[in-house]
Amino acid sequence: MPRLLLEIGCEELPGWACREAEEQLPELLRTHVGALPSALFIGPRRLAALVDGLPERTADEWVKGPPETLRERAAAGFARRHGVSVEALEAREGFLGLTLQGRSLREVLPERLDAVVRGLAFSRSMRWDESGLRFPRPVRWILAKLDAQTILGESSFGHRFTHGRVVIGEAGDYAGALRAAGVEPDARERRRLIVEGLDEIGGWSDPAGVLEEVVHLVESPLVLDGRFEERFLDLPRRVIQAPMQKDQRYFPLGGNRFAFVANGGDPDVVRAGNENVLNNRLEDAEFTFRRDVEQGIERLASRLDRITFFAGAGSYAEKTERVVRLAGRLGGGEASLEAARLAKADQAAELVREFSSLEGYIGAEYARRAGFPEGVAAAIEEQYLPDGADAPLPQTEAGKVVSAADKIDTLATAFGLGHRPTGSRDPYGLRRAAIGLCRLAGEGELTIPLDLLPDEVRDFVEERLEGVLGVPVEFVRAARASGVRDLGALAWLAEALAALPDEELGPIHTVYTRAARIAGEAAGEVDSALLHEEAELALARALQQVETAKIADRDPEAFASAAALAPAVERFFDEVLVMAEDSAIRANRLALLSQVRDEVGRLGDLSRIPR
Amino acid sequence: MPLNYQDMIRALESFWADRGCVLMQPYHTEVGAGTLNPATVLRCLGPDPWRTAYVEPSIRPTDGRYGENPFRFQQFWQYQVILKPAPEDILETYFESLAAIGIDLARHDLRLVEDNWEAPTLGAWGLGWEVWIDGMEITQWTYFQQVGGLELDLIPAEITYGLDRLGMFVQGKSSVLELEWAPGVTWRDVFGENERQWSAYNFEEAPVEVLVNRFAEHETECAHLLARSLPLPAYDQVLKCSHILNLLDARGALSVTERASYIGRVRNLAREVARTYVESLAQAAA
Repeated sequence: MPRLLLEIGCEELPGWACREAEEQLPELLRTHVGALPSALFIGPRRLAALVDGLPERTADEWVKGPPETLRERAAAGFARRHGVSVEALEAREGFLGLTLQGRSLREVLPERLDAVVRGLAFSRSMRWDESGLRFPRPVRWILAKLDAQTILGESSFGHRFTHGRVVIGEAGDYAGALRAAGVEPDARERRRLIVEGLDEIGGWSDPAGVLEEVVHLVESPLVLDGRFEERFLDLPRRVIQAPMQKDQRYFPLGGNRFAFVANGGDPDVVRAGNENVLNNRLEDAEFTFRRDVEQGIERLASRLDRITFFAGAGSYAEKTERVVRLAGRLGGGEASLEAARLAKADQAAELVREFSSLEGYIGAEYARRAGFPEGVAAAIEEQYLPDGADAPLPQTEAGKVVSAADKIDTLATAFGLGHRPTGSRDPYGLRRAAIGLCRLAGEGELTIPLDLLPDEVRDFVEERLEGVLGVPVEFVRAARASGVRDLGALAWLAEALAALPDEELGPIHTVYTRAARIAGEAAGEVDSALLHEEAELALARALQQVETAKIADRDPEAFASAAALAPAVERFFDEVLVMAEDSAIRANRLALLSQVRDEVGRLGDLSRIPR
Repeated sequence: MPLNYQDMIRALESFWADRGCVLMQPYHTEVGAGTLNPATVLRCLGPDPWRTAYVEPSIRPTDGRYGENPFRFQQFWQYQVILKPAPEDILETYFESLAAIGIDLARHDLRLVEDNWEAPTLGAWGLGWEVWIDGMEITQWTYFQQVGGLELDLIPAEITYGLDRLGMFVQGKSSVLELEWAPGVTWRDVFGENERQWSAYNFEEAPVEVLVNRFAEHETECAHLLARSLPLPAYDQVLKCSHILNLLDARGALSVTERASYIGRVRNLAREVARTYVESLAQAAA
């Protein structure tokens, strides 16, 4: 069976475009050509696939015409439309029709392959000529071979600077022919070669994760190592790493060494050039760093009134005032307040304007250099933690306070401007901030009073608890309606409710739901003078003993004391007619039940837990 | 011997002239980039083919460092090439131009790294790369897609060589200031003092009140010129406003909200100019 090669030759595609094509090509080939590819070759200058086991001809196709009974009236028209005589029509299962012969693969491939190329959809694409084709970068050639036959195009091209046109004899020769022309077309093989080269050098790291992009920045990986001037080792570690990785896609090796991946060239020449570039970059970073240090963190902080937090949300100076206030209300001590005051100072630093990933880290460094205590510096550095679902929390108390204050302010400000996240759009990272708050309150055991959050924000944050805690959502919903006033206690309560054994939860649940159902919207004081029956007096007495308020202190006694109401409530319903004829007595009994509802309700709206 | 700075420019001039470019000269008012020269931004609009190449001094007041930083200047130099529409072999031609200034392409590591361009004040964007040679960025490459909020009829290739970086590479220097401009004359000799004085002007002396008034005057003039269907002089008013905004920024004279509002005012003018310019082209064609 014949083997097909399709190669889409491009000007240098970004790595993300290579990955998007890689994901789509198999399905597109199956749809339009009839089989999944046996091999994919993905890289910056070519997207290629081999497809094996294709049938030589497409299947014959039966075209159904009019029923045989209408032969006289309709057959002539049908035959004419298909360019055959009426005599040529066949009858099958009561219908007339004709068999369209299958076509040779060779004949249909050009249109099918065109459909594959046009079927690729990218998150960002461009036009470059009149063809109307959109692609992430211009397509410059298309080559298709069916075994040794050329279906589309003429030839392929080797390495851009060392090899020119490459003639592919047979589809199956593709990878070999390109390797001979200085190109490794297989992304997995390139990745393997790069990692192998880095391992040979040894001690490499990739903190910013540039490897996947580097795989698609080269066709002919040449892994080299170099050195920068030792004097730059005085710079903070991440100030060295930021230009290395973000600007240059290098791999730090420790000390003053780095590794990088070239796309060919004379190793000594290329190494010298890259060393020179990195020295220049570090010189620039050092210059910027020194200027920032010369300014000092206080001067940087004083310039925050000129820097926008985000559109409509005022300046970083205003944000800082709010964060300091919040840090105070979160019970932060002196270190927290000082750290909050300086937390955003590095937004005015030139280094952060160039490498935003240094925010926090470099502010802490500037604080240390200005002589602030380590507790303040550490809190500045930790303010963006946790920055992911599994990322570590701040380790210092002050760090937790500043982190929480910052997140509360970001959420409140963004919601105040109507920037609620929708679908996958969350440009201000509000989901991450809310999840961070939940984790600071839960795992971090930081007290975060819920009244610091505007209603909308509070709902949004509490909704995130459901994902963070991993307990069934009903328990979180129940806990949200409780009397608990801080986020950590809320998280604890939801978990505690979910963990209650059935025999403990059952009675509380029954007491609450029955009392809530009968009491409805009733409220008000109980007039003890109107209590006559023994069962209602007993219930009133039992209510005096209830200590569900202890839930605010995360005291499990609260559950036991609610459960202790169960016998009194049960007796009350057995013996007392709530809907007494005397309206004053009726109201009083409803008030009594409303107290049961409210007392037990401190544990949450238990009716939300289905039983 | 590597080419000195002016010989490198001469080599580029003759290379692109041989490929049908109209050689132009720097624009007569300050621009932050060669793209803003009307020979690029306006000529990319409309249905007519166009090829040009020119040196452009890029004026960015906030980037001044009094001539003390080896890589940062309030005035640096770009070599700008526009080919509209982009020929199919334009990338190959570009690489030939590097060979023409003495770079041996097979000995070096040349790469195209994604770098897209967007100028919100112009309602313009395009996709392209930064070109690396042995890790150094020497060119920005863009296929424009939209200008003035309008889809382009013919897609131009914009090639912007960073002459200072390219010169450093060609001459093997680690400071722009040390580049040999002409035999026996360095970049520092030609422009070092200029950097010191202009940095002082940009950061310390530029008269804020006067600039604020000038901005408003140019803005008014722009609107007036647009009303008279004179988009070309109107566009100069946009450039002047844009430069004044940069100066005010360097003086640290703008609060957050003020700055945002100035940017919005420049953007509105720029869009209106682009629209009027395209209309004027359509009328001329009709």
